[in-house]
Amino acid sequence: MNRIALLGQPNSGKSTVFNTLTGSRQHVGNWPGKTVEKKDGSYTYKGVMYEVTDLPGSYSLFGNSDEEIITENYIRRKEADLVCVLVDASQLERSMYMLAEFAELDAPAVLLLNMMDVARSQNKKIDAEKLSDRLGIPVLPFTAAEDKDYDKLKDLFEKELVQPHKLSSVPDISNMQDAKEIAGAKYAWITKMLEGVTETGKSRFKLDKWDRILLSPVKGKIVCIAVIFVGFLAAMMICIPFMGVGSMLPGLMNRPIADFLNGFNVHPWLVSIFSLLIPNTLYFSLSMAAFVFGVNIVFGFLEEIGFLARTAYQFDHVLSKLGLQGKAVAPMLMGLGCTIGGASGTRVMDNWGQKMLAMAIVWAVPCGSIWSVAPVVSSMFFPAGGTILVIIGIIAYVFFMMWVVSKVFGKSLAPEEQRSGMIMELPPYHKAHWKHIIKEAFYKAFDIFKRALRTVMLISLIFWAFSYTSTGNVENSLLYKIGTVIEPVTRIFGMGWRTFVAFLSSAFAKEAVLGVLNALYVGQGSVADITFNASNAAVDPSLLAVSMNSLVSKAEALAFIFACTFNIPCVMALITTYRESHSFKWTARVALFYIGSALLLSCVIYHVASIFLH
Amino acid sequence: MKLSELKAETSARVKSLGNDQHFVNRITSIGMSEGVDFEVVKNDRKMPVLIYVRETLLALNRNDCEKIEVEVKA
Repeated sequence: MNRIALLGQPNSGKSTVFNTLTGSRQHVGNWPGKTVEKKDGSYTYKGVMYEVTDLPGSYSLFGNSDEEIITENYIRRKEADLVCVLVDASQLERSMYMLAEFAELDAPAVLLLNMMDVARSQNKKIDAEKLSDRLGIPVLPFTAAEDKDYDKLKDLFEKELVQPHKLSSVPDISNMQDAKEIAGAKYAWITKMLEGVTETGKSRFKLDKWDRILLSPVKGKIVCIAVIFVGFLAAMMICIPFMGVGSMLPGLMNRPIADFLNGFNVHPWLVSIFSLLIPNTLYFSLSMAAFVFGVNIVFGFLEEIGFLARTAYQFDHVLSKLGLQGKAVAPMLMGLGCTIGGASGTRVMDNWGQKMLAMAIVWAVPCGSIWSVAPVVSSMFFPAGGTILVIIGIIAYVFFMMWVVSKVFGKSLAPEEQRSGMIMELPPYHKAHWKHIIKEAFYKAFDIFKRALRTVMLISLIFWAFSYTSTGNVENSLLYKIGTVIEPVTRIFGMGWRTFVAFLSSAFAKEAVLGVLNALYVGQGSVADITFNASNAAVDPSLLAVSMNSLVSKAEALAFIFACTFNIPCVMALITTYRESHSFKWTARVALFYIGSALLLSCVIYHVASIFLH
Repeated sequence: MKLSELKAETSARVKSLGNDQHFVNRITSIGMSEGVDFEVVKNDRKMPVLIYVRETLLALNRNDCEKIEVEVKA
């Protein structure tokens, strides 16, 4: 077996190397029993198969985080035949710290001097041969974005797996107990190794013209927000064509599939499953993948050029009040467009608890779909002035909800003493390597697509079972029967059974709310057909308004709008959160909290509003 | 003197990183070890402190900077 492990600090370009080596032949899972992502992949070179593992971790190896323990044990148990240590050639002295840590583990290794293009542009010269002689292991100058460098790397792996080398020089830390003393010895070893290999740390620092704007307290914040806003629009432009095609699938596939199956006298249930559920699952999964694709291209770009790090610097102070840190800023802003994008954007955060907390808070940010539903429903019941008040109320409640979520979950997810304040490098501005950004975005999108297919199908099936009718009449569905039975209970929360069903569907997908209301009040189209997008029976707001006004009080409408807005964002955001956090327990907890607090909110609003609105 | 009190463009040396093991480990591994020389690049109110150490521009949370004892170099 040829097993290679990749080890390196964040920003060492490790994930680019991993993705380029393995391409789409990778598997993402969990390390046993931990909420840490495990990335494995393989490639074939000259007819031989090589397995690659991307080792998790941060800047060091012995910091006692789950990631570090996993990585340390993995190397100690000799599960890899060869460890490839990556360092940033443009910041060699600092990033060699990982190699100094690794030296204690006594395993076969090669050293990859990544980012040689940046080092060259800074006129830094590195004598790789001399360094290799001193260390006793091969040293390869490398640029992760250069395709031709990978053949050299694969050749090197091939050779070293046959005849491996271990470090011949290691930091002398015998008899040392104190962590600071040990760290000092490691840096001293690095200095010794690099002497005459490269010039280190003598240059003074000068802010360049971009940083003088981006790092200034006021101007910088304005520019950051503007750029992220434009970035968000760009991400939407990327994903809209995919979503457009996807959204046509249910409408296009529904009839032909149904007709085809009916021709064979298949049971209507199966016809319904195949003609409704499957096209819609495809549509949802495709939309989800498209979002992730667009967001990852924009984020990948902003991160690679060094912009995201500046944004984090700008908003660290504000976010630390929520128990988060600067790195959470971009996900929160992206959440205004789509919660899926926001949740997957939290992967830049290195502390798991804060990452989960950030996702829980991002859920409170109303996404684009809410903004397309809430004002429409509001305007059916309230005059323009009232609708503006409703919107202002929603915005105010967003901040309140963020604060509540940070209070409720902050203590256990990110306790004061475990909170990591921001310690972050601001990398020099880079040129973007588009090909790699697009490739990586594609892998992530494809991965989401595969997972979404399964999960969306399962959840759709459950919702379908409740809303299915053979006649198209709502009153024959299980949903109606249960709805009318539980209405006394839903009334406590201020909602009749119809608004309550629409509230439930808002947890499935916010865009479905209008269609479901239409089915329930106007009686056009079945709930199943509309929720699963097969019939886009045009919603006529004025007709819906008339029907709803006769059955729904203003107080109930208001309660309903808030309950939908602050319900769990949607099934797809839920899946993304689970996928990013790797924790079913926490995803479920946060979801239950959102459903519970939405019902409570609805209850309070209804009963208070009933006093004033008639 | 605390790191958070230094003005921009000051050169200084780290005297002590304090006793919070978790913090010491994180900040050491990213380049700020005891005894290392660095330069303060920016130190604005309500913003992280920007320093330049081992060829790297680092942003450090303000509260964390209060744990770091430094001495200004002549």
